[in-house]
Amino acid sequence: MFRKVLIANRGEIAVRVIRTLREMGIGTVAVFSDPDRTSLHVRMADEAERLGPGPSAESYLRIDRILDAARKHGAEAIHPGYGFLSENAEFAAACEEAGIVFIGPSAASIRAMGSKTAARRTAIAAGAPVVPGTDQPVTLEQLRAFAATHGYPVLLKAVAGGGGKGMRRVDSEGELESAFRNASSEAERAFRSADIYVEKLIERPRHIEIQLLGDRHGNMVHLGERECSIQRRHQKVIEECPSPLVALHPEMRHEMGQAAIRAAQAAGYYNAGTVEFLVDQDRRFYFLEMNTRLQVEHPVTELVTGLDLVRHQVEIAAGARLPFTQDEIGWRGSAIECRIYAEDPYNDFLPYPGKITRLRRPLGPGVRIDGCIYEGWVVPMEYDPLLAKLTVWAGTREHAVDRLIRALREYDVAGIRTNIAFFRQILEDQEFRAAHLHTGFIEEFFRRASPREVPADFAVVAALVAALHTAHRRPAEAAAASTTASRWLEAGRGELLR
Amino acid sequence: MKLILTINGREEQIEILAPEPACRFRLGDGDEREASVETPQPGVFSVLLDGRSYDAFVEETPAGMMVVVIDGHRFEIEARDPRRWSRKSGGRAGDAVQSILSPMPGKVVRVLVAVGDAVEAGQGIVVVEAMKMQNELKAARVGTMLTVPAKEGATVVAGELLATIA
Repeated sequence: MFRKVLIANRGEIAVRVIRTLREMGIGTVAVFSDPDRTSLHVRMADEAERLGPGPSAESYLRIDRILDAARKHGAEAIHPGYGFLSENAEFAAACEEAGIVFIGPSAASIRAMGSKTAARRTAIAAGAPVVPGTDQPVTLEQLRAFAATHGYPVLLKAVAGGGGKGMRRVDSEGELESAFRNASSEAERAFRSADIYVEKLIERPRHIEIQLLGDRHGNMVHLGERECSIQRRHQKVIEECPSPLVALHPEMRHEMGQAAIRAAQAAGYYNAGTVEFLVDQDRRFYFLEMNTRLQVEHPVTELVTGLDLVRHQVEIAAGARLPFTQDEIGWRGSAIECRIYAEDPYNDFLPYPGKITRLRRPLGPGVRIDGCIYEGWVVPMEYDPLLAKLTVWAGTREHAVDRLIRALREYDVAGIRTNIAFFRQILEDQEFRAAHLHTGFIEEFFRRASPREVPADFAVVAALVAALHTAHRRPAEAAAASTTASRWLEAGRGELLR
Repeated sequence: MKLILTINGREEQIEILAPEPACRFRLGDGDEREASVETPQPGVFSVLLDGRSYDAFVEETPAGMMVVVIDGHRFEIEARDPRRWSRKSGGRAGDAVQSILSPMPGKVVRVLVAVGDAVEAGQGIVVVEAMKMQNELKAARVGTMLTVPAKEGATVVAGELLATIA
């Protein structure tokens, strides 16, 4: 086993990895940028090395400096976390060349699964279902034929595109020709290429993903699914295991699990990885992409399977065989996670960094927090707004939802804005409780939800507290006010006596 | 002590007749009420009112407002002394000037206009960035740039004035 591991990351995931390494008796090396000097991962690690200034390109993305730090501190392996260099094949290869173990898959697997188009080709070759589409530019006639085969609605997309430019939804044959012309000319203007391809549009899809774990000896298991349909700006905010849909249709876990294993093995994959699927209203699933690293939302899988994924990642990287077979994996109860962000959910989810002036965290049965914040810490404005992941476990989904609401009620973060109160609204929502989930859930929620009702005396207490706080803040002014008030009183009495 | 509070946009007068811990107060011209109030930590108020227990958290915003949070409910409150001139009076009514304020703490990455420039409604004025997200602030209406205190590269707090349009 390794004696010392460098964590090439920051924030909550660096803290998460340090915790397991410490449990394993492995030394830890943190790396940091200037604004992260006082971040928790630096304070927790056994050793730490500065990488450079704040911008990621000058710090957490500097392969040369990270490898220098590993050599200087004698780290035998590097855990990349998620984001930054975690899915960078060049980094994995550079580690290998430097004789340092990359705790993740091989550079070749990252390349095979790295880009969406390469992953789609790998998945198709492995027989995994993908969203029907052409990938190649189409003519109007080819488009008509595609829609006739796969049915409406379809989605037109610019081959060179992105950002929604040249994108058109088409619901019927009658709209097809003008939509095609408009999409082409928009693409021409935006990207100087009028090429359009077409995909079957999946309406109100669910996002369900499969966690994989494979060793370097050809063994691979799936650890079941996570449902991550609650997203804002295409980023997951609430994740759960089991998926409530899969819980109703248990055969889906096996089918999706096997499809994911086939796709990953086609890429010679080992270590932890996740295959993401879109699931349509008829429970058909389609390969979306593969994440060749540990996922943000891995705690829900850990709570339900009882496994420590980071421990297995480290053991696999050190050459160990998987200590269990597929039949030995069990799923118990229900876990739900929400991602606590420094952002204002009621102002377009705009980020809100700053100093944490007060922090109270939930405790009690079934509560887990993976975070990196502490009272007095200034959340840097340079990085992702993820502050912590609050995850709960309970025997059933219903109890887990109640427990998560209870835990959110105990969570107090002051000085910045967070989405904590927003999560309570979502979790109390009947549609969420009924598990009617899809990736457009939050947009729909904002359209239909009425603001939370404020209990009668809350505003009274708020007014009282504000007044007392003002008096604390300005004792001199308050004293002046009260003497003036008593003078008024005297004046009033004087009036009466007159 | 009497204060005029603006609570989530609504005005309310409060009179503190006795301070904590055995607090007596009156809202508007309502009845006198009693509450047990303790401050276990700075910015934290434990209030017992009519047998119910409330944990209230207070913080001050850079713009001089108070934010009181009770069980996830957020109250934005401004307090002023009824005997003083209100700083606000008339300021908001005169809609002749549009102020562009930073909606979040961050860094000014681009200033797209200069003082004296004519601008159209919807035209980008300043771009503020935080946590890898850029936010372009736009003119709400046609006009001329009156002031542009925003400087490229400067760090700003939420609510900071970036530009005014006349």
